[in-house]
Amino acid sequence: MFRSFALFLCVGLALLTGCSRSGPDTGAAPSGGAPAGKRLTIAFMPKSKGNGYFVSCKQGADQAAKDLGAELIFDGPVSPDPAKQNEIIENWITLGVDVIAVACENKDGISTALKRAKDKGIKIVTFDSDAEPATRDFFVNQATPEGIGNALMDEAARLCGGTGEFAIITASLTAQNMIEWQKFIEARRMAKHPGMKMVALRPCDDLKDKAQAEATTLLGAYPHLKLLMNICSPAVPGAAEAVKQAGKAGKVKVIGLGLPNENRRYLKDGTTDTVILWKTVDLGYLTVQAAAALAKGELKAGATSFKGGKLGEFRIVGDNILLGEPFKFTKENIDQFDF
Amino acid sequence: MLKRHFREFSVLGVLLSVLALLGVFAPDFFAPQPLLSRLTAAAPKLVVACGIAMVMISRQIDISVGSLFAVCSVVCGLLAAAKMPVPLAIASAIAAGAIGGALNGVLVAGLRLPSIVVTLATMVTLREGLRLARQGVFIDLPDGLQWIGLPMIGGQYLVCGIALTVLAAMAAVMRHLAIGRAVYAVGSDAEAARLAGIRPRLITFVVFVLMGALTGLAAVMNVVQSPQVDPNTGRMLELEAIAAAVVGGVAVSGGRGNLGGVLVGFLLLACITPALTYIGVKPYWDKAIQGAVILLAVVADGLRNRKNGR
Repeated sequence: MFRSFALFLCVGLALLTGCSRSGPDTGAAPSGGAPAGKRLTIAFMPKSKGNGYFVSCKQGADQAAKDLGAELIFDGPVSPDPAKQNEIIENWITLGVDVIAVACENKDGISTALKRAKDKGIKIVTFDSDAEPATRDFFVNQATPEGIGNALMDEAARLCGGTGEFAIITASLTAQNMIEWQKFIEARRMAKHPGMKMVALRPCDDLKDKAQAEATTLLGAYPHLKLLMNICSPAVPGAAEAVKQAGKAGKVKVIGLGLPNENRRYLKDGTTDTVILWKTVDLGYLTVQAAAALAKGELKAGATSFKGGKLGEFRIVGDNILLGEPFKFTKENIDQFDF
Repeated sequence: MLKRHFREFSVLGVLLSVLALLGVFAPDFFAPQPLLSRLTAAAPKLVVACGIAMVMISRQIDISVGSLFAVCSVVCGLLAAAKMPVPLAIASAIAAGAIGGALNGVLVAGLRLPSIVVTLATMVTLREGLRLARQGVFIDLPDGLQWIGLPMIGGQYLVCGIALTVLAAMAAVMRHLAIGRAVYAVGSDAEAARLAGIRPRLITFVVFVLMGALTGLAAVMNVVQSPQVDPNTGRMLELEAIAAAVVGGVAVSGGRGNLGGVLVGFLLLACITPALTYIGVKPYWDKAIQGAVILLAVVADGLRNRKNGR
């Protein structure tokens, strides 16, 4: 019994350590002492620390903290973990930070901890993914479903010259955010691009390999297809590989919501035309700027605009600070991004 | 022949009817190049389904294959990306699969734990461990790995060829070699097999190791089809493989089934999803139709067993 258990542990550990990335740990341990003088302390938490997406958010956050002369504490779970997020927030309450900025892994899970922080007078900003609205002051909203839907549909129509068949590959037929995006894609198509015709919608279960198989099938089944629109990130490189293998690169356009690194090779060789996301660095920057303004009392509920340091004015709708139009990664600018 | 393999032939009949309907309503389905690409994409699943069939015939189950598939893919990808020669990276992935299978085998055969519980545990552990280690980040592969450096068509024939070779080899082993017969014997009645001089626990262990190695091989066959490894790959693979085996007439209760049936069951399930795209059915029907096919197979087995008084 014991021998087998030991074996189990050894193999498990070997697998884990064998695969673990030896990248630098970006999480700075919170300094023990209270901040000296009136220097503002901003605590900034991603869903998970090692994730390239949040690492690039941190670049912007660091820059903003530098511009503001504030102290930035960056910490978060190693992998997305709501319980660990709560634990870190409890630590920050004890530490007495001025303001917390957090990307919430679980909307309900984090609310209690945030509420406790708020009761202690700590200001709360959420970014990337929101908490219960009552538990935070502002949400820095990186992209509205409408903004995403419009950007995708407009880009599709532009690449197809306004007419033609296209198909959508989604993660699952039940994912709420994707259903929302599809709604706005369809609304935009009807309003602005009636010449475009959506011929199929296929789920890929958020898997690149399955997206590749689905795209291969779509290319065979719809010979007049002009564009594949992929609204979950693994589907973009999956569809691009299928188009490339079918020898239809350039003839069938590929666009989607995705991450720069996963699509770099396809953007560079011209298989994929446009990858849409937001500027993650700016998201981090704006979040920290908003957090600081909130802590200093410069940003109050009811404001309709906000000056985010060097990035200029941002619109506020309700309690959402809008980052603005989605950003388009193309062959020309892809080299500036690494996440 | 027809009577003994009535179950397999009836599935073959369904498959041929589906193909005939497609021939009438969507002849494009059989256009050679997309067909070859689709078969290549599905080929790794056939290899896993062959392994699962063997596991089920021995009256065990392995639901960790999807997670192990992802681990092997990542092992292959990381080693190749670290400039290890391609054959060595491939061998390491298969070895990693065999080690994972041996772990299941030790726990099931050595400790006599139920395989559904053991492989549930390894399924979750491997998947979460991988998530922790990789954070879902894709691995970029070096150029020499895609299609093992062959032109695409050559690579596709190679992948399909390997799948068919595995199928044929396993069919021969299960039918003609002592070890294959022993797997059936253990699955039918382990105690009787033991009295006949077979060592059921050793057979079970070997079956799990082989299952793991086949999973590693399947992972490699999948990795070579794209220049990137998605560490989430293989999710739900265990269910697809078990479904192919069940539809192909492999009994969950052990001792019954053959590899020919697995091939037919696999082809039937593999063609349903693309077929729906070709005839323009809404995707909401996919899972419902897949489920109905599996249900039909299980009910057919249940009815037959009742008739045979099992």
